[in-house]
Amino acid sequence: MKTNRKEILDYVLKTIEDLAHDWDYSSAITPDSLLFTELGLESLDVVVLGTAIQEHYRFQMPFAEFLAELGREQRDVSIAELVDFVDKYLNADIREAEPVTRLSQ
Amino acid sequence: MSVKTLLIGLDGATFSVLDPLMEQGVMPFLRSFLAEGARAGLRTIVPPLTPPAWTSLMTGRTPGQHGVFDFFRMESDGSRAIRFFNSNDVQCETIWSLASSHGMRVTTLNFPAMFPAPRISGHVIPGWVPWKQLRLACWPEGLFEKLKSIPGFNQRELAMDIKLEEKATEGCASYEEYGPWIDLHSRREQNLFETLRYLIQNEPSELAAVLFDGVDKLQHLCWRFLCPEDDRPLETEQELRLRDLCLDYFRKLDRLLEQLCALVGPEATVLMASDHGFGPTYEVFHINAWLEMQGYLTWSEAAHSRDTEGALLGVGQVARHTWLLDWTRTKAFATTPTSNGIYILVNEDGNSPGVCPSEYLSFRDRLMDDLRTVRDPDTREPIVKEIWTREDAFNGPHSHAAPDLTLILRDGGLVSILPAAEAVSRRPMIAGAHRPVGIFAARGPNIRRGTSVGELSILDVAPTVLYSLGVPVPFEMQGRLAEEIYHAAAIEARPLQKAEARAPSVNGKSVGTARLTEEDEQIIMERLRELGYVE
Repeated sequence: MKTNRKEILDYVLKTIEDLAHDWDYSSAITPDSLLFTELGLESLDVVVLGTAIQEHYRFQMPFAEFLAELGREQRDVSIAELVDFVDKYLNADIREAEPVTRLSQ
Repeated sequence: MSVKTLLIGLDGATFSVLDPLMEQGVMPFLRSFLAEGARAGLRTIVPPLTPPAWTSLMTGRTPGQHGVFDFFRMESDGSRAIRFFNSNDVQCETIWSLASSHGMRVTTLNFPAMFPAPRISGHVIPGWVPWKQLRLACWPEGLFEKLKSIPGFNQRELAMDIKLEEKATEGCASYEEYGPWIDLHSRREQNLFETLRYLIQNEPSELAAVLFDGVDKLQHLCWRFLCPEDDRPLETEQELRLRDLCLDYFRKLDRLLEQLCALVGPEATVLMASDHGFGPTYEVFHINAWLEMQGYLTWSEAAHSRDTEGALLGVGQVARHTWLLDWTRTKAFATTPTSNGIYILVNEDGNSPGVCPSEYLSFRDRLMDDLRTVRDPDTREPIVKEIWTREDAFNGPHSHAAPDLTLILRDGGLVSILPAAEAVSRRPMIAGAHRPVGIFAARGPNIRRGTSVGELSILDVAPTVLYSLGVPVPFEMQGRLAEEIYHAAAIEARPLQKAEARAPSVNGKSVGTARLTEEDEQIIMERLRELGYVE
């Protein structure tokens, strides 16, 4: 499946906006919104968000490596950067990406 | 439709705590439940840990067969990054998928390894999902909006708040924090109950299941107040008040159990089970610190320069080990404090750090010998009680993802993965830790009254749940029907049915050859094509 970056951004923004309604988060959510310091997410929130994104696109991406990198550098990440990460792997040569399979559920 | 089987999970419940509470009148309903039904100890798998143990209960399979070993797993073979476990790691059928595939509705609430939610008939509200993401996790679509209409619904308290979860194993900073934390778990169980009651009353399923996990949390953090006989008598007014709060949690839980059983009525079979038992822990084995002292591991410069204070075990930061270690000079390491597992870095391609494949077994033997020499500095008693190799503990097609060694410590405690000056330290306060034998109880039509059947295996729960529903039990399940809890005449009248082995499936659709219709095969081929497996 090929999906352009704009579609990925729209999907991620919509997903986070829907979730943020449940947190009573009132500020605008934009591509520049920072996941940890602005949206108040924990690392496990981002793990689960990453799992949901992989499930949506049915592609496995190295989210754990991505999070480890953030932890190593002790830095925050914006929605745009998250989208760049998804775009990079989702739109890489399809043979290099590993599809998500759900076995026996 | 009415509930045929109600499965109540009590995370970490042990009769060593529950029996005294029943005797003291704190849990009168549970006492009457056991008098009217059957009870047994329930021996869990190695390691006695929530994700693999509940997955074994749900599948009737050991971790090497189902694929879940810890809260975390390596992102991929060869990766040093770890990720949180999820439902895609479960590599075999569950009681949920089997009941659903036999045309039954299933409601499952708060069980681990259920996100992303399997597309079963009924409802899935997964456990171990952060509260901010609960909307994403519920199945089917629209369920979350229905839940929000339940009076008193509080997603923050229903789902997980990782900062609060950490307290269960890392401890509270002061006694003042304990009271609100205990109250929170009572409210959480009430939330779970209200959610299940709403679904049973409005959209009932044949199989309804709920996991109350406050038992585990309270026993971890409040063992001092629950079982003061394992330490010293409670003395201060504050300590006595905290014990009262703990008892109040169990008192309220008992009332919820009573209401749940009343809700499903006497015609339903009610099964209760825990994933492991519990006991006291007094010390911490700083496993990575010990590996460093023995020359198996080297800390990175960042480990010395960055703040690693404030945590006892290192539960909070998933990725911490990736920058704590100097990977060019490390051969054995632990990534998480939860599974007590040690990984050995193997130089597979000849150009990487780690142990040469030809030296793996001798290296592992030496490491095991060294682990056996870790002693209590005062009594000289061994700290490591058992060492399980990967092939012994996790035999099966998924063992490659398991730790090379799994340790059982003398007090059942967890290891710390953080730097430390000493290999073994005393805990600031006695805590609770997992033990291998949990609880099983059953009541309902054809269940023997007031019987104690010794010990069952956690693998026996899945076949017993399926039998109670009238669903055939797959041959590949490693557990057995707990026949001894039933009247013999009942088993004779309705013998256990065994099912043909089913091949693994993709998104709930079997990809094997067992009993597939032509339409099934077309759907599967389309799915495989979408996934890029078939052109």
